[in-house]
Amino acid sequence: MLLNAVIITLREVLEASLIISVFLALSQLLERKLSWLLLAMFVGAVGGFVYGQNLGAVSMAWDGMGQELVNAGLHLLIFLSLLVFMTSVPHQHKKRWRIVTLIATITAVVVAITREGSEIILYLSGAMSIPNMLLPVLIGSIVGAGIGISVGIYFYYLLINMRLKYGMWLGYLFLLLVAGSMISQAVEFLIQADFIHAGKPLWDSSNLISERSVIGQLLYALVGYEATPAPIQVVAYVSSIAIIAVATVISYQFRTPPHDD
Amino acid sequence: MKSIRIYLLLALIATITLVNFVSLLHGYQASMEKAQNLFDARLESTARLIASANSAQVADQNIAEQQTPNTYFQIWGSGGQQLLTRSRNAPDEIIGQLDEGFHEVNHASYRWRNYVYQDRHLNRWVVVAERIDIRYSLAEEVVLESLLPIVMAIPLSALIIWLAVGVGLKPLSVLAQQIRHKKVDDLSPIKMERVPKELTTVVNNTNALLIRLHDAFSREQRFSADAAHELRTPISVLKVHLHNLKQRFGDTDEDIALLKTGVERMGHLIEQILALYRTSPDQAAVKFEDIDLTKLVQSVVARDFEQFERKQQRIELDGEKILIKGNQFALETLVQNLLSNASKYTPEHGDIYVSISSKLGEALLQIEDSGPGIPTDMHERVFERFYRLHGDQHASDIIGCGLGLTIVKDIAAMHQAEIELGTSRFKQGLRVSVRFRLEEKK
Repeated sequence: MLLNAVIITLREVLEASLIISVFLALSQLLERKLSWLLLAMFVGAVGGFVYGQNLGAVSMAWDGMGQELVNAGLHLLIFLSLLVFMTSVPHQHKKRWRIVTLIATITAVVVAITREGSEIILYLSGAMSIPNMLLPVLIGSIVGAGIGISVGIYFYYLLINMRLKYGMWLGYLFLLLVAGSMISQAVEFLIQADFIHAGKPLWDSSNLISERSVIGQLLYALVGYEATPAPIQVVAYVSSIAIIAVATVISYQFRTPPHDD
Repeated sequence: MKSIRIYLLLALIATITLVNFVSLLHGYQASMEKAQNLFDARLESTARLIASANSAQVADQNIAEQQTPNTYFQIWGSGGQQLLTRSRNAPDEIIGQLDEGFHEVNHASYRWRNYVYQDRHLNRWVVVAERIDIRYSLAEEVVLESLLPIVMAIPLSALIIWLAVGVGLKPLSVLAQQIRHKKVDDLSPIKMERVPKELTTVVNNTNALLIRLHDAFSREQRFSADAAHELRTPISVLKVHLHNLKQRFGDTDEDIALLKTGVERMGHLIEQILALYRTSPDQAAVKFEDIDLTKLVQSVVARDFEQFERKQQRIELDGEKILIKGNQFALETLVQNLLSNASKYTPEHGDIYVSISSKLGEALLQIEDSGPGIPTDMHERVFERFYRLHGDQHASDIIGCGLGLTIVKDIAAMHQAEIELGTSRFKQGLRVSVRFRLEEKK
């Protein structure tokens, strides 16, 4: 039971903590105030609690496909926020673009924490209702959350202690992979809701790296690792990364000379 | 990195958490495996015990009652063809296969781990089974007891690290405090007891820099003072010769008038350089005392009244008794320079208004003239050394060297006062406001 609690909490906390640490680091590298991010984290935590408590009602919506569709929508929203964030960063010398970046950051952080938080709340409230499960679930959740947050802290300090240029690019690269992972997960939810046909898995690497191992969880959070991905997931993953990469390069090409408006 | 202390706390806690929790997971898995092996050993010995305690070879209709619901046993005879006896909760059929060893089977909605023992002597099979979930829970309960302290230790470690890092960084905060509390004129070396190895270079180099800075300041001050002082004598001699020339050739000679302006300009410059040296904020050992600001302004107006009278300017003074802490000579120089500027730039028959008031813990000295004023975008620049509005195009009859407002700014800084330029109450003109902080009454 402890291992289940560790895996589930680690999966959700690691993803959220890496996203938050990258946004915290990039905000610091872009010399932005961190108070908005802290507020977004708080709103996300409240959102996660509320969504987690009402997942039963959400699941019943749309002929029992509510949870899958809402989750697919939330992942799509994170993807769009990342797209807006990465294309707006090259225009930071303009005030209105700075506001766009801030809104995209806040949206991504709030939605990410809401989504991951709701999963943890759902699991904890379910597991703790079983007798004698309190201690293993509690210890497992603390261990999973502890590992997830610790990796997030390392990643944050790695980014802010790198030279500005490299820190920015590593942060960008990570967000690019997260964006791909978001679309891949959105597609997975749509497959679960029978909106998309899954087809045979393209490969099975579970013997090589199990999704349930710590390394598997880290890779899942970092690059959206799936041991048995559907072909449509791989296509969506690669296309979404290509879209953001091209949009970011175009945005860099079209940036205007710095002057404040 | 905003705070070294927070960085160290987070980095150390993250490391401790990561290392502890990953080893905790490995320990948990190893302990669980060990516990399962112990349970298996117990199951095997139970099967052997049942076989030796029960030697029946024909079917017994009495079902054993003394079993717990988490375990069951069966004894099969005739090579597994006939059920000889069983516990009440045991099935009456063979679950799985009668192969000697451990197996996992499903029975009564639960997963069971059984051990099949072949009693070769009596040609029987003894099957003993335990519910896996109960075995797992029991094992987990024991293992978790040992893991709980590791989890509980993390917040305690955080507290200890926070305190330890605070103690470790104390020399740094002591150094920062010393530098922060250094007065602007204090260029003495930093004194620290037991300087840690990491800070030795910082302290030594800072002290060396302070000594070099002190020497450089002293050289600059000595040079300015000596140069200005040495120049005073030849200027005085020049003035005497000029006076003699005027006696000989009369006041109307244009060359003599130009010479007079030049000498006066040079004399003014030297006086101002001397004043600048004496009123610099870096100048050590300035004596501060209680000074009645209004009385001081009155005395300066009275002393320099000739300059206003010469241009037939009206000067009005409005003030009450306000005591501030300050240096008499420096404040006189400040008022004198501001009044001199007001008079110089106010045309003949113009107005000058001086007011001294106090409000909200501040003493406010305002000098307003009816001159041309200073454009807002020049308000910062006029305080720079040797900067004069309109540069060399300045009206030639106004003597100045561009040091007056610099001196005023230095004196204000020495008294921690703020200067603000604005528009005067007259149709046009400059208003200079100097805000002195009043000491709180005890």
